[in-house]
Amino acid sequence: MTRTIITIAIGLLAAQSALQARSPQMSAERKAQIELGRRLFYEADLSINGTMSCATCHEQRRAFADGNQVHPGALDDPGKRNVPGLANIGAFKNLTWAHNRLSGLAEQSLMPMRGTDPVEMGMNGHEAEIGKRLGQNECYQKLFLRAFPKEKGSIHIGTVSRALESFQKTFISYDSLYDRVSKKNLPLPTKEARAGEKLFFGAAKCNTCHSAPLFSDDDFHDVQPKNPQPENRIQDYGLSDVTGNLKDKNFFRTPSLRNAALTAPYWHDGSAKTLADAIRKHDLKINRTLNHQEIDDLIAFIDVLSDTTFVNNPEYAKPAKECTY
Amino acid sequence: MKNGLLILLLATSLFAKEAVLPSELSAWKALSYVGSAKNPQELPNATLTLNTASLVGLVPTPKIQYVARPTNEGGSVSYGGMFQLTLKESGLYRVVLANASWIEMVKDAKGSQSVAHSHGPDYSGIRKMVDYALEAGTYTLQLSAGADTTSAILVTKLK
Repeated sequence: MTRTIITIAIGLLAAQSALQARSPQMSAERKAQIELGRRLFYEADLSINGTMSCATCHEQRRAFADGNQVHPGALDDPGKRNVPGLANIGAFKNLTWAHNRLSGLAEQSLMPMRGTDPVEMGMNGHEAEIGKRLGQNECYQKLFLRAFPKEKGSIHIGTVSRALESFQKTFISYDSLYDRVSKKNLPLPTKEARAGEKLFFGAAKCNTCHSAPLFSDDDFHDVQPKNPQPENRIQDYGLSDVTGNLKDKNFFRTPSLRNAALTAPYWHDGSAKTLADAIRKHDLKINRTLNHQEIDDLIAFIDVLSDTTFVNNPEYAKPAKECTY
Repeated sequence: MKNGLLILLLATSLFAKEAVLPSELSAWKALSYVGSAKNPQELPNATLTLNTASLVGLVPTPKIQYVARPTNEGGSVSYGGMFQLTLKESGLYRVVLANASWIEMVKDAKGSQSVAHSHGPDYSGIRKMVDYALEAGTYTLQLSAGADTTSAILVTKLK
């Protein structure tokens, strides 16, 4: 029964996302924004010293996460949080690990570009440089004109962020093994994965927060690790740093478990090296501790949420260097 | 004033923390200068030697014609360069770098997948270390998306 409901939800969500992202009726303007956004996603001139693009941290082969605990910024400032994956990011209301006041992915993209806590791409105060650098490139002149004709192809951080939003909204991931067998109403192929599925939606109550079909409830929870953070790490109180409300202290957004097997390390500070570590960090409130076999079963289930179509989709890859216009 | 500065410099050198380097990184300190190649034709003049640390000169990214398009190419204001390196035997090799440039080991126009990456020992001046399992042969070592015009580099065999 649970499977049937989830399958219907996946179908609806996938269809809705696909329609929004790439419908046949999509305007030429929208298509141009996606194409421009793709090129900008891999553009290191969006960072102060030309060393970082969005893709420096968001690697497609890792479901747009990164293999580091945290990633230092363009000027070598220490990173603050683990790089989150971007699968189905357009379906989320809340963005980043701990923010509930962003209007969308366009506003979110300003955080790495010109944020100061921490400094990532280092463009704060240098926003005009983006227009200058990209404006010298004939390909960008043409792409911006096609993507933003009403603004006469104006190149600035605002149009850059809107194009990045359009591209990221195409990051749709509903073709995992779990999705495929669910659509055919078949059982998962291994007994470990089947046991993990039963545990996930049953006794371990993982689905309470990692709710299907996104495998995240898009909400904030206090699931802090019991061991305190090392002193040399940046203090991070999560959502309360945004809202100023003490009730939100140590609240972080539930990460999606889709493609989680590809996005190690885990936790908002990257402190869990493996999925097993991440599972053990949870206070499950189920009156018992999961044994080794149960943890292995949960990992086997999370593994079938990996979507190789998504991580190999050529439409998300770095575009050809040559301009097609 | 001048004496004060000298005392300060002396004190700094006396009390500066020395890095403890493992044996495979013992060559890190002595640097010889090698200019980078901007295109494949210049590669024979930009040769690195295994187990010898070099200070390499890097050039603005727009001037470089890489052998293989780097994963992280760097923007118009970044720096990079290419070097040639011949490995006589297959094995696990480590590229040690003083800055955060993107590293790629290219052979037959294809980049090798790294097998591990890590930071250098404290106070060593080593920013990153990337390991590759490589066959014998001549490789192009590509540095891209760097912030600096120079960097120290060492390629060493681990096993």
